[in-house]
Amino acid sequence: MSPVSATISGDASILEDNSDAARARPVLPDEGSRLGFRLTLPAQILVLFIAVFPLLMQLYISLTDWSPLSGHGWWSAWSLWNNFANYTDLAADARFWSALKRTAIVMIVCVPAEFLLGLALATLFADEFPGKRIFYSILLMPMMVVPAVAGYMFFMLFQSGGPVNDILSALSGFPVTIAWLSDPTLALIAVMVADIWQWTPLMFLILLAGLVGVPEDQIKAATLLGANPWQRFVTIVLPKMKTIIIIALAIRVIENFKIFDTFYIMTGGGPGVATETISVYIYKLTTQDLIWGYVAAIALAILIVLSIAAVFAMKRMARAREVPA
Amino acid sequence: MSAIHLQNLVKKFGDFTALKTMDLAIADGEFMALLGPSGCGKSTTMNMIAGMEEPTSGKILFGERDMAGVPMGRRGVGFVFQNYAIFTHMSVRQNLAYGPKMRGAPKAEIDRRVGAIAEMLQLTPLLDRKADRLSVNILQRVAIGRSAIMEPAIFLLDEPLSNVDAAFRAVMRTELKQLQRQFRQTMVYVTHDQLEAMTMADRIAVMDHGVLQQVGTPLEVYNNPANIFVARFIGAPGMNLLRGRPAESDRGLVIDLGALGVTPPLPAEIADAVRGAPGDVLYGFRPEQVTLAEGGRGLSLPVTFVERIGARTIVHLGQGESAVKAVFDNDVGLAIGQTAVVAPAQASVRVFDAATGLAMKAGG
Repeated sequence: MSPVSATISGDASILEDNSDAARARPVLPDEGSRLGFRLTLPAQILVLFIAVFPLLMQLYISLTDWSPLSGHGWWSAWSLWNNFANYTDLAADARFWSALKRTAIVMIVCVPAEFLLGLALATLFADEFPGKRIFYSILLMPMMVVPAVAGYMFFMLFQSGGPVNDILSALSGFPVTIAWLSDPTLALIAVMVADIWQWTPLMFLILLAGLVGVPEDQIKAATLLGANPWQRFVTIVLPKMKTIIIIALAIRVIENFKIFDTFYIMTGGGPGVATETISVYIYKLTTQDLIWGYVAAIALAILIVLSIAAVFAMKRMARAREVPA
Repeated sequence: MSAIHLQNLVKKFGDFTALKTMDLAIADGEFMALLGPSGCGKSTTMNMIAGMEEPTSGKILFGERDMAGVPMGRRGVGFVFQNYAIFTHMSVRQNLAYGPKMRGAPKAEIDRRVGAIAEMLQLTPLLDRKADRLSVNILQRVAIGRSAIMEPAIFLLDEPLSNVDAAFRAVMRTELKQLQRQFRQTMVYVTHDQLEAMTMADRIAVMDHGVLQQVGTPLEVYNNPANIFVARFIGAPGMNLLRGRPAESDRGLVIDLGALGVTPPLPAEIADAVRGAPGDVLYGFRPEQVTLAEGGRGLSLPVTFVERIGARTIVHLGQGESAVKAVFDNDVGLAIGQTAVVAPAQASVRVFDAATGLAMKAGG
C-alpha cells in the first residue's frame, strides 16, 4: 500500500510543481519535462505521421520518375532515380512559369480588392444602422457556400446567354452576348470576380473584429484633440489594426496560392491554359499525366516559396506587435 | 479660461432619466468636483460638457457662448479619460504633438510647444519612449499634457484615479492639484471618491439619481449637509441620523428619541427652525464629534462592534433604527457587549425633516 500512495503523492507534487514552474520559470524541472514529453508523445507521433512523413515521402518521390503506373510501390521508387531531372525540368517548364505568373496576377488583383472591400464594409458595420443584423448575415453567406457550388453558380452566371449578359443588355439597351468564359482575358476576369465575391466576407469578418477592438476612448480622445474622421482612421484605427491586417492578408495570400475549386469548375483552366493556376496545373498533371514524381517536385517548390512568404509575414507581425500596438 | 454654466440641463436615454434639471455655475479657474455614487449622472453631465452627448434639453454655456451644436473637437475642452486613453502605438512625443499636428500647425511650432509642455510636466527625458509601458503617474502627465498643449479653456477629468492603487493615489492627488495650480484652468473632476473631492476641489457638487443635491466648498458640504443623502454620503462613516419627535422641555427644545431618551436641548438657531415641525425629524451628528459621557447625560447604547484602524477607532453602537457610529482618536477601551454613553458635541448637531429629508435651519 505504501509504494502506491508514494507514487500518487509523488505524481501530484510533480503536477503542482509544473503549474508553478509554468508561471515562474521558462524551463521546466527535469522530472516535469520528462512527464510532459511522455504525455504529449501520442500527439507528437500523430503530428509526425500527418506532417513530416508525407513531406519526406514527397521529397523522396520528387527525385524519381515514379508514377502509380510504374508497376511497383512508392517505397521502391529509388530504382527510378533520375538525377534531379524533375527539378531541372521544372525550371524549363514554360507552362509551370505561366501558371505561377497567373496565380500571382490573381493574388495581386484579388487580395487587395478583397482587403479594400472588406475594410470598407467593416467600417460601415462598425456603426449601427437599421437592418444591420440581416445585412450582416447576408454578407457572410458567400463564405459559407461550398467553393465548388460557387464555381457552378458563376459558371452559369457568365454563360453567353446568362444573367450577367442579360443585366448588361438591360443596362446598355443593346443585346449583349459576350462569351465570357471562352475569351482568355474575360475568363480570367470572371474567375477573379468569383473569388472576390466568395472571399471578401472573410476579410470583412476578420477586419471587423479588428475594428471593434480599437479602443473607443482613444478614438474619442483623438476627436477631442481635433482629428477629423479621416485623420482618426489613419492615425489611430489603422495602426491599431496592423497586426490583424497582416493576419488577414497572410491568410488570403496563402489561400489564393492554392486556389482551385472555383477555377477548375468554371473554366477547367481554359480556354487553353488562360485561367490555369498552379493548383489547376498540378491537378491536371496528377490526374491526367500521372507523372507523380514531377508533381511532387512542383508541390515542394511551392511549399518552399509559401513558407518563405509565411515566415516573412510572421516576422512583420511580430515586429508590428513589438513596437507600436 | 472660461466659466461654465449649466442651465436646466436634462438628459434622458429612452425612458431612463440620467439627469433631472441640473443648474450649476462653475467659475472661471475653479476646480469643481462632481461627486456621487455610480449612476448618479455625474459622468453624463461631464460627457455633455465635452460634447460627447447631446443634452435632451437645457443649455450649456462656456462664458457667454452657447455650446449647443458645437462638435466636441471644437469646444476647446481638454479631457482626461478614466484610463487616460493614451495612444499606445505612439511615443510620448507623438502623443503630445497629436493635437497641434491634426490641426496642421507648422512643425517648428509643434516642436516648440511639445518641448515647453514636456519641460513643464517633467516629461523631457521620456519623450521618445513608447507610450505602452509607462507607469500610471507618467500616463496621467502625458494625458494632461496632450490636452494642455491645446490650451483648452476647460479641463474635464473622468475619475482619473480610479484605476490607481490606494497607496499611489495620495501621490497622484498632490500631483494633480499642483498641475491645476500651474495651468489655472477651469477643471471639472468626476469622482465617486469623496476623499479626492474633499482634498482637491474648490467646490463639490454632490449628485444622486440624476439630481444635484448640494453645491458647496468641501467644508460646507461636510458641516452643513443640505439633506440626509449628503449627510450620509459625505464623511467616513457618514452622519448619524436618529428618528425622533421635537418636544418642549424646561431647558428648551429637545428631540424625543423614544427608547433612547431625550436629547440635550437643541442650539437656538436650529431650535427655531425645528419648533412647530409637524412630523418626525432626524437628529444628526458626526461620528467624529462625539464624546464619551461617563455616567453623564447622553445616548446609552450597547457596543456591537469595534473597528480599530490605527489612528482611529470606530465604535458601532446599537442596531437598526438606533444604530450610531462613534469615531475616537484613540482606543477608548470599549468591548462588544458593554454599554456606552455617548454625547454629540452640541455645535455639530443638525436636524433634518424626516418626510422631505431636508436640513432644518433658521432661514432655510
